[in-house]
Amino acid sequence: MLQAELFATIASLRKEGRTADGLALLRDALRRDRLDPEGIDKAGRIVRRELLPDDSSHAPLNVLILGQCTTSWIVTSLTAAAWARGIALRVVDGGYDRVLQELTNHRWPGAQSGIVVLLPWNKRLLEGGGDKEQGLQDELRFWQQAWLLATERLHGRMIQVGYDWIIPGPLGQHLAAGSEGPVSLIREMNARLRGHLPQGAYFLDLEQLSGISGRRSFYDMRRYFWTKQPFSENGTSQIADHICAGIRALTTGPKKVLVLDLDNTLWGGVVGEVGPLGIALGDSPEGEAFVAFQTYVKQLAKRGVLLAVASKNNPEDAREPFRLNSDMVLTLDDMAAFEACWEPKHATIARIAASLNLGLDSFVFFDDNPAEREQVRQAIPEVEVVEVPQDPAEYVRALQSGNWFETVGLSGEDGMRGRQYAAERHRREAEATFGSLDDYFRSLEMVAELGSITDADLPRVVQLLGKTNQFNLTTRRHSHNDVIRLRNIPDAIDITLRLRDRFGEHGLVSVLLAVPEICDGRKRVVRIDSWLMSCRVISRGVEQFLFGHFLDRCRQLGYDTILGEYIPTRKNGLVAGLFDELGFEKLPDQGDEVIRFALDVATAVEPKTFVVRAGALI
Amino acid sequence: MAPFQMNDPLFRLNKVFRNVFDDDEIVVTRATTARDIDGWDSLMHVTLLVNIEKEFAVRFSSAELAGFNTVGELEDLIRRHLNQE
Repeated sequence: MLQAELFATIASLRKEGRTADGLALLRDALRRDRLDPEGIDKAGRIVRRELLPDDSSHAPLNVLILGQCTTSWIVTSLTAAAWARGIALRVVDGGYDRVLQELTNHRWPGAQSGIVVLLPWNKRLLEGGGDKEQGLQDELRFWQQAWLLATERLHGRMIQVGYDWIIPGPLGQHLAAGSEGPVSLIREMNARLRGHLPQGAYFLDLEQLSGISGRRSFYDMRRYFWTKQPFSENGTSQIADHICAGIRALTTGPKKVLVLDLDNTLWGGVVGEVGPLGIALGDSPEGEAFVAFQTYVKQLAKRGVLLAVASKNNPEDAREPFRLNSDMVLTLDDMAAFEACWEPKHATIARIAASLNLGLDSFVFFDDNPAEREQVRQAIPEVEVVEVPQDPAEYVRALQSGNWFETVGLSGEDGMRGRQYAAERHRREAEATFGSLDDYFRSLEMVAELGSITDADLPRVVQLLGKTNQFNLTTRRHSHNDVIRLRNIPDAIDITLRLRDRFGEHGLVSVLLAVPEICDGRKRVVRIDSWLMSCRVISRGVEQFLFGHFLDRCRQLGYDTILGEYIPTRKNGLVAGLFDELGFEKLPDQGDEVIRFALDVATAVEPKTFVVRAGALI
Repeated sequence: MAPFQMNDPLFRLNKVFRNVFDDDEIVVTRATTARDIDGWDSLMHVTLLVNIEKEFAVRFSSAELAGFNTVGELEDLIRRHLNQE
């Protein structure tokens, strides 16, 4: 079924009240890798709509994605990928570059803990410009702080994503991976992350993942400049898929058994017809591909995956190649179970499961024959069935790409014990560097320069008014002349803020414009007409600092009340709660688009901030 | 209004809108804006454009991605690309 038809069918089933049938079709399509990245994204939206609101049968696992870049589009793809594998997730993400803030503020719904996915972006590391070693240490310290909060505060399990590069950079291909090159910097950073990561956490090597997929299709720079998410649709769905593998590794653990067919799976041809020496194995392109597949499977067995054979064959014929064909890599001893008979395969697999005393949900089935796969899918849906490609040259890739055997390297109990020790060790390490989030903010060494809007500032102020969408309370796009008119109103308060921190200069990043409000009463009221801030410096206490200064100015000018206005748009949800946080009271609705707040200047408290003021002015 | 033609960009756009917002009652016109469609927020805006690029096999520039207000302007943009590519 084509993707468009599939979704049309699901929609019409829903209209007939047969949502569950539609979802079954969707899950089946996902498990067979039939959907493109856009389709997976849509599947995720459907699952979130249909399943999560009233999922009372079993509580979904909470997942919190926090990135140094935007991660919003991973949410749906991850939901779909996990749901297809039988894992119900409730995924939320923290927005652009709000890792530590979210970790400090987040509460899991209910009392359960969940999984925290931490996703770095390379900008600060690669563009920091300072000392290389210092940059590495700063980034590591940042993540150590995040690990501490994730484990101590949220009691979460962690998936730490690695750093990645997109292009070799200005030094060129040869030097990129040399000692001073960006590629080597990324690799060194990843090695340190891995080296310090608390035991039991899962490391998702982004450099490896994007390399397999190809960076040109994995990233979309337009999207980065547009939304601060660097991943293309393709990249997004790959990351989601891999996070899902990590979640499996952290929760259910890896699959335990690989069930293999024989004819045209481990060798070419049918042994019952061509004999043990007539099968294609080595000596031809096809034969070499089967040898490679056997070699890979043998390596899986060495690392602890149980192998089993389920073949429709005469028992003697099936064993002959293992005994007589010297090109065979796998031996009968490699097999934990060996079933050659003429029964349906689902019955055979069920018998293998009983003999190994393992649940069917820990089985992966690999068979070149689509009819056999179909039967197993229908009869025992708990078993994961690999979508086997036609060409044996693709077998290894197909088996690997399911990530069925991903593990953090320890058995469940060992992992738990190790994790506790590691969390304790880690807490002590991180405390030595940062006692708290406050210390982190302090370590940014933020210095703000306050001013009023000078003529030289006007172009930048008008530009900010024109383009700032997220931290913008009213989104009033004032013109050059508007700004001059507003700032010239007697007793108007106009504030500009320039920020620098240990990573460099941010320039003029925030503007506040407030004007006296004409009121009937005796009280003097000032109304915040516009307040905006560049999204680069959001959530570091800069807004609190600026507001503290604004309060001072209000007191100097003898205002009694501050009137705050918030006009919701599609983009400024970030600041919907700002006035509330600053202690304002919400005022009754006046039937327009503006949400109004008021603050009594006399009782207002200066908010806590770690920004230090530079130079005096005004 | 003349009936839609199957290969008419506006007809194909309507198909994408219905698919992305999962609502087969959506009928877009050249005057349609984000306000008219339930769920068309900044997140879905990106998803919508990604799906449109796929449907028409075109690739918008950074400037074009954010440079339209109505479906009509979007249609014009697509037509320009279809003529070029």
